[in-house]
Amino acid sequence: MRLGRLKLARSVEILGTGLFLALPFILSALNVRSSPYILDLLSMVGLYALLSLSLNVILGLAGMFHMGHAAFFAVGAYVTANLNLTYGWSILATLPAAALGAGLLALAVAIPVIRLRGDYLLIVTIGIVEIVKIALTNDVFGLTGGPNGLIGIARPMVFGYRVARPVDFFYLIWIMVAFSALLFHWLENSRFGRALKYIKEDAVAAEGMGVDATAYKLMAFVIGAAWAGMAGTIFAAKMRTISPESFTFGESVVMFTIVILGGSGNQKGVVLGSFLVMGLPELFRDFQDLRLLAYGAALVAMMIFRPQGLWPPKPTQYRLPPPYDEKYPAGGSG
Amino acid sequence: MGRRLPYFLLIALAVFFPLFGAGEAKAADAVKIGLMAPTTGAWASEGQDMVKVLNILVDQINAKGGINGALIALSVGDDGGTPKTAALASQRLVTTGVVAVVGTYGSAVTEASQDIYDEAGVVQVATGSTSIRLSEKGLKRFFRTCPRDDEQGRVLANQVKALGFVKPAILHDNTSYAKGLADETREIFKELSVKEVYFDAINPGDRDFAVPLSKIRAQNPDVVVFTGYYPEAAMILRQKRDLGWDVPIIGGDATNNRSLVEIAGPEAAAGYYFVSPPGPGDMKSPAALEFFKIYREKHGGLPSSVWAVLAGDAFSVIAEAIKNVGPDSGKIAEFLHSGLKGFTGLSGAIAFDEKGDRIGEVYRLYKVDDKGEFVLQN
Amino acid sequence: MGYFVEQIIFGLTVGSIYALIALGYTMVYGVMKLINFAHGELFALGAFVGFFFLVTLDWGGVFGPALAIGFTVVFVAGATALAGHILERVAYRPLRHSDRLAAVVSALGASIFLQNVIMTVWGAQYRAYNADILPKVVWTVAGQSVSLIRLFVFLTAVAIMAGLYLFINHSRLGLAIRAAAIDQGAAKLMGVDVRRVIAVVFLIGPALGGLAGLLVGVYYGQINFNMGQLYGLKAFTAAVIGGIGNIPGAMIGGLLLGLLETLGDAYVSGAWKDAIAFVALILILVFRPTGILSERVAEKL
Repeated sequence: MRLGRLKLARSVEILGTGLFLALPFILSALNVRSSPYILDLLSMVGLYALLSLSLNVILGLAGMFHMGHAAFFAVGAYVTANLNLTYGWSILATLPAAALGAGLLALAVAIPVIRLRGDYLLIVTIGIVEIVKIALTNDVFGLTGGPNGLIGIARPMVFGYRVARPVDFFYLIWIMVAFSALLFHWLENSRFGRALKYIKEDAVAAEGMGVDATAYKLMAFVIGAAWAGMAGTIFAAKMRTISPESFTFGESVVMFTIVILGGSGNQKGVVLGSFLVMGLPELFRDFQDLRLLAYGAALVAMMIFRPQGLWPPKPTQYRLPPPYDEKYPAGGSG
Repeated sequence: MGRRLPYFLLIALAVFFPLFGAGEAKAADAVKIGLMAPTTGAWASEGQDMVKVLNILVDQINAKGGINGALIALSVGDDGGTPKTAALASQRLVTTGVVAVVGTYGSAVTEASQDIYDEAGVVQVATGSTSIRLSEKGLKRFFRTCPRDDEQGRVLANQVKALGFVKPAILHDNTSYAKGLADETREIFKELSVKEVYFDAINPGDRDFAVPLSKIRAQNPDVVVFTGYYPEAAMILRQKRDLGWDVPIIGGDATNNRSLVEIAGPEAAAGYYFVSPPGPGDMKSPAALEFFKIYREKHGGLPSSVWAVLAGDAFSVIAEAIKNVGPDSGKIAEFLHSGLKGFTGLSGAIAFDEKGDRIGEVYRLYKVDDKGEFVLQN
Repeated sequence: MGYFVEQIIFGLTVGSIYALIALGYTMVYGVMKLINFAHGELFALGAFVGFFFLVTLDWGGVFGPALAIGFTVVFVAGATALAGHILERVAYRPLRHSDRLAAVVSALGASIFLQNVIMTVWGAQYRAYNADILPKVVWTVAGQSVSLIRLFVFLTAVAIMAGLYLFINHSRLGLAIRAAAIDQGAAKLMGVDVRRVIAVVFLIGPALGGLAGLLVGVYYGQINFNMGQLYGLKAFTAAVIGGIGNIPGAMIGGLLLGLLETLGDAYVSGAWKDAIAFVALILILVFRPTGILSERVAEKL
């Protein structure tokens, strides 16, 4: 019975993923008029899924209250824009630079504050996103174009193919989501991921067992931030124009909401959360001025209905080696 | 429910997502015109006024049987005042089959939608986006009924000089509009060899401006040029009075709003100058008077700023083009560039140059009198 | 020197309003360990309820200034306290035993909801608070011009805070609140009705926020539906600077944040003043990881 349900769930997931990836073809076969809109919306969902998966490493796995993820998203986007506009780098070539830029900023700001407890870390990360936004608005180092931002960012080229149409971005973004999800899945189940879980459950006990909590938390923070930087690259290429309005505290709140609502610590839940948080305000468009009111009420209702998130992670089970006497049953070699 | 809930949600999503935007397929023979405006978010009041203005205009046309027999259907897309939402809103409007779109308010927001409309071949007539570079990209189907920052900066700087001021202080609010206008004004001051004694920003949304005011006072300017919006301008006027300081202030068109006097109080507002296209209260053509009469009956007051009226004009030029060349985006764009002659909208004569910018001198100097009325100076 | 004194006066006024709002954050946090992200919206609600009585109904003209202020204060405090109470019942109580972050997201949702309720009821445009209820007198003391109303804002805020301080430290209910803040379980065992304490905290906190909204409306003369965002964030910062959960800490944090912002603006740059304030916040937390007056609560994650 249990096994049967598990198989069903697995096949629903595989079928769903397959259908999803075939969606552009289905839409064009059915000649759906609004398909560019749907694909753009799904690309935006994918972008936020990417951002939220990276935030999940920090918030969901390491358990650090981080509400300033948009800061690293911004750094990535501006690094890409500058390298592309000034030095003519191709977009995909800027990906590592964007990750590096965001990661370095994360490292610099995290070192002094990494030891702060829950809510104090929360306000510091809010402070960071505000400081970054103010720096962008004031054209820091002459690199950000001030309140106007930067325009004319190129489209990405993948093996000589220009990624420009909604369908191109749909695939580019969702392939990145899939790749990131696999990588983070592997990370979660590695020694590193286990250490993070331990720290999240009981930092004192973890320290007692010789886990360097600060170092692991720092690593999680930097990895998550670097990934957000790469999401910034994609955002810059998709929008072709970036300005400080896109990287506010409010955006950080959106990512935070996605992770907690979807199911902190479960990647599937985080992706589901991206669909709901990005999709609901769009679904409510016909309510016009009331659409955000409906969205706010829906958020409260969903949290009350599912306080642990819509799709919480399964409790981790580690298979222990069989006990000694099972491995070597008594009675000798008979 | 329990652990199966996520799967129900996934299936629900799979069913609902393709339906997004499908509800728009109404009135197949109507000509669809889009309005992209911020009806939620920080600039919601501007966007909601735009919707009100356009609804009246659409009803007027449809009551007369439409344009050449075809009714007009308005699709509204909320851009929330942010680039990200605007990118989705514009994509959605495009897929509803609009031939032309009115909007939007903020320059950075318009920028995020320009490529999408252009690639789809839809005509876009912006209403409040004054940033210079929007019309410098060579887009053939982009227009705007509002003037550009450089135009306003030129008028503003020249008026400051004409009023006999020699030591201006410049204060902006770090939004792309206000910063752009402040930069332009500073450039023209340089040409006029007027040297500003102060140049800094306030934060939009702040309410206490005692500090910047006292900083500016320490530089002893003979006029303060404030390039931001009316809510902040009104509080600056009010707090300047509280400080017992009587320097004149001159502002830009974003302060052309009746609320300015209400917030500041007539006493504190008296003597305030601003340059702006004529506001709703100064539009005296018969068509404008009739329109505002209807608006007042319906909504109990005038639109609070000029931008909603400019959105109305953007709609009217599109309607005029459709009347002449039919509902074809390419022809509409061509007509707006070259065929629009002698057309008068609510805000006056309208024509566009080859970049899509509005032709003609639209700025006037206003001064607030002792009763709080906006008085046209020249 | 005069310039400096002037900046201090400005900083204290701005800071006293932050402090008043910060008290709402800190009281709720102290007892429930919940960051009430919807508190900024309750502040805005207070401003709009005051607008309704003072401007729409023109009570100043009906009752005369003194009575009008008295009535409005009562009604604003009552309305926001009621709203806070409903908020707690609907959005937070069901989540009391859940993960703390669930309540944070619920609070964020409630904040979006309330903000849009205000927009729907009172409209999206800026509303002018032209209730000239306080005289516009400007005094000149030793070369400094101080407006009466600025002084009034500061003194009102200080008086409210002093009242609250006395209440918390010298009444039975105050004692219960302090006990619940230190350890809910132990307080329960000692006979404290924790549910009632939470209810009371959710009446006082929002009422203080609402009164701050009224002050802002009357003093600055302009309100709009999303005014709670910025003030809420600033006040939350102030509460953390002072040591969240600590009532005198919120007062000190508020005044300090006001001064930091003002001096940053006056001596460095207006465009960077918020960044300066946040850098100061981070530095304070680096050296005092739980704020200036630390939480008295033991290690709790």
